[in-house]
Amino acid sequence: MSAAPRKLTLDEWEGRYAELRRAGLQEASYGGPLGRHVLEERDLRLRHLRFDNSAAALGLWNFLLSENERLAQARTRGDKIVGAMKDLGTVPVMACALRGVRAFYPDGAWWTPCLMECSDGLLQQAETLGLDASFCPVRAMLAAFQNGEHFPRPDLLICSTGAVCDDFSAIAQRLEKLGFPIEWWEMPRRRAPEPHETSCALPGNLSAPQVQVECVRDELARLGKLLGDLAGQALDSAALAEGIRQANRVRRLLATLRHAVYGSPGVPLPALEMLIAEMLAIHFCSDREETIRVLTGLLAEVRERLELGQSVLDEDAVRVFWVNPVADLRAMNQLEDWGGRIAGSDYMFTHALDLIPEDLPPLEALARTALADPMVGSTLDRARRIVADCRAWRAEAVVVSRIPGASHCAQEGTLIRQLVREELGLPAIELEIPPICDALLPTLSSRIQALLETARAKRR
Amino acid sequence: MQVFITSPWVPPEFIGAHGLEPRGVWFAAEPSQLPLGAGICAFAQAMIRLAETRPESAFIFSTHCDQLRRGFDALTLTLPGRVFLFNLPATWQGRVGERIFGSELERLGSFLLKIGGYPPTAKALGESMARYRLARSRLIEAGADCSARQYGEALARFHWDGTVNLGGEAQHARADGIALALVGGPLPTWQMDLLDAIERARGRVVLNATEAGERSLGLASQPEADYTASHALPDLLQLLTRSCLERCVDVFQRPNTRLYLWLKERLAARGVRGILLWHFVGCDLWRAEAQSLREAFGLPVLLLAASEARSDALRQSTRIQAFVESLG
Repeated sequence: MSAAPRKLTLDEWEGRYAELRRAGLQEASYGGPLGRHVLEERDLRLRHLRFDNSAAALGLWNFLLSENERLAQARTRGDKIVGAMKDLGTVPVMACALRGVRAFYPDGAWWTPCLMECSDGLLQQAETLGLDASFCPVRAMLAAFQNGEHFPRPDLLICSTGAVCDDFSAIAQRLEKLGFPIEWWEMPRRRAPEPHETSCALPGNLSAPQVQVECVRDELARLGKLLGDLAGQALDSAALAEGIRQANRVRRLLATLRHAVYGSPGVPLPALEMLIAEMLAIHFCSDREETIRVLTGLLAEVRERLELGQSVLDEDAVRVFWVNPVADLRAMNQLEDWGGRIAGSDYMFTHALDLIPEDLPPLEALARTALADPMVGSTLDRARRIVADCRAWRAEAVVVSRIPGASHCAQEGTLIRQLVREELGLPAIELEIPPICDALLPTLSSRIQALLETARAKRR
Repeated sequence: MQVFITSPWVPPEFIGAHGLEPRGVWFAAEPSQLPLGAGICAFAQAMIRLAETRPESAFIFSTHCDQLRRGFDALTLTLPGRVFLFNLPATWQGRVGERIFGSELERLGSFLLKIGGYPPTAKALGESMARYRLARSRLIEAGADCSARQYGEALARFHWDGTVNLGGEAQHARADGIALALVGGPLPTWQMDLLDAIERARGRVVLNATEAGERSLGLASQPEADYTASHALPDLLQLLTRSCLERCVDVFQRPNTRLYLWLKERLAARGVRGILLWHFVGCDLWRAEAQSLREAFGLPVLLLAASEARSDALRQSTRIQAFVESLG
């Protein structure tokens, strides 16, 4: 089934799929040709993307694009559905520790307008609900709740608040006013411990005072009780510890995958598939066991390609560290077309990639991990980690990708670029990617190519 | 030393008890502004500029707004040791918020000592708390007898120096204007021409629910302990924590039902016929409430964005005139 790695259009994937089937491709229940997502779910954007040609990547895409369908099936089977919002990686670890409970992020609806090329009307509908284009595209979530056409209405909605983006918090508050009750939990703004305070080590080489860890732990304990009540079984320490071990299996796989891809001179897996793979960390795409299977498949593919010395792109591609997820997936393809490659990323959930400590009481461990969220601490903490990762993966340039209307984007980019320049002397730019970036391609192309040329010039 | 506060929920009485001068930013002179970057809130940037141009003062930012929180991040590089970020909890229904607030007060105390304050005695803190409580009560009572401008400035002055100064004789609001509520974010004195523009348009602001407006005073009927009675310092700090959290009525709280309850009572009692929603461009927290306010109170809502340039004033006046006219 192996073929030299390359990127295929959706049409080209039809032939490749037939070839794989003839060669005995075994697929999960949600498998099938990629084109069906265009026909059945109107994921029109797929027509303008290019995909890795491996069976493992096919599995990844089918897993991602079938999430709403799988959630609906789970509901039919009697599973409880939890909508986790904003924390990106914490509540799903708890929910998935309970039998018959699935968690997903309604926040993920921010990609629906991109995938459906706005034919879903979610952004327009959000406007009629009071949230216009000046808000982050995550406002699509509001309309998706209202029209009920995308994901099932969760049995329990949980949202972190406090040190979170104002736009998200405002959108979630509007959602509650529209009749979707939310269980809010406090996420304090992470700070360094004072000299007289007990310091707690957090994942990601961070620290926080014990009082903050205790506050988050108490909040998580409260949520644990709610989740247990929903599931009809207690979320005790043993269950949560096992949930953490399983979450860490996912995180270890991703760490190995990222190290293999970003650390390699060649490019064994394209940027777009890596972005999707990383996203699996935050809620396991509603199915933790399947996430492990999909990631294992991707890792095997990457290892095989590395052994064979195969690369999807020219090894000359400029190594770019990318900050923040893109509202339009196409941007990841474009970066590679213009001569770049991803060599490191911070898609706003690095805390979901770090291992959750297994040598601490489980709630304490989870609280520490939640506090390591790059978005709840100082932008400088985030920038320092970016600098360290740029060093580790030998990045040659940095792109800070702004999310339209997101409150954190207004000021963070300047600080991140400043630190990157001071510490590493790397060229860095900020650019904004809307849900459909086609009209901006000439501008994006000019800006990114200028960045890549600058980085190339530094090689000499 | 002057200690500037960017949120009315950071207690000035606590700063005063350390022998320092709390200064609510709403009464400060307008700092010279730099061109705004994309998406940057003009108020957040003004606060950053204010801090940069007042090297002799300390600044307390708070986490109630993402842009102010990140503004603090930027200042830690340029003004280390002079800026402090106060973590205001967003939730208010559980004990975690109280714990966070209490620990932040403790931390703020350490900061105030570092910048030259002295350790407060129970007596000093009790007296400071009593003085501010009395001033808040007097201001709540005075609201009905003042013009909107006079009241707005008195409130800003209270946040500046803790005094109640209504600026001489009461300048009664016109009795024939359309009753309006001004709801929203910070309205510094340099933007208070807005209040005159509303009156010129035959509107009458009977409820100033901007950040440092009447909303920042708490509830007149709120029973509070006698702070000057003999209390130990830890007891007073606990009282102060509870009092601050009980008084807090703001859009950033989750859920923000307290804001709506607070508004509901006053909008009805004062016969409000329309809401002016005042916000800075880029303030998602307030802009997102426009439709919820309409739905909750069944009143027309006009969004008023803080002018980024003086030349916007005419456009703003025209909008207000049309709004008031449509209510007449």
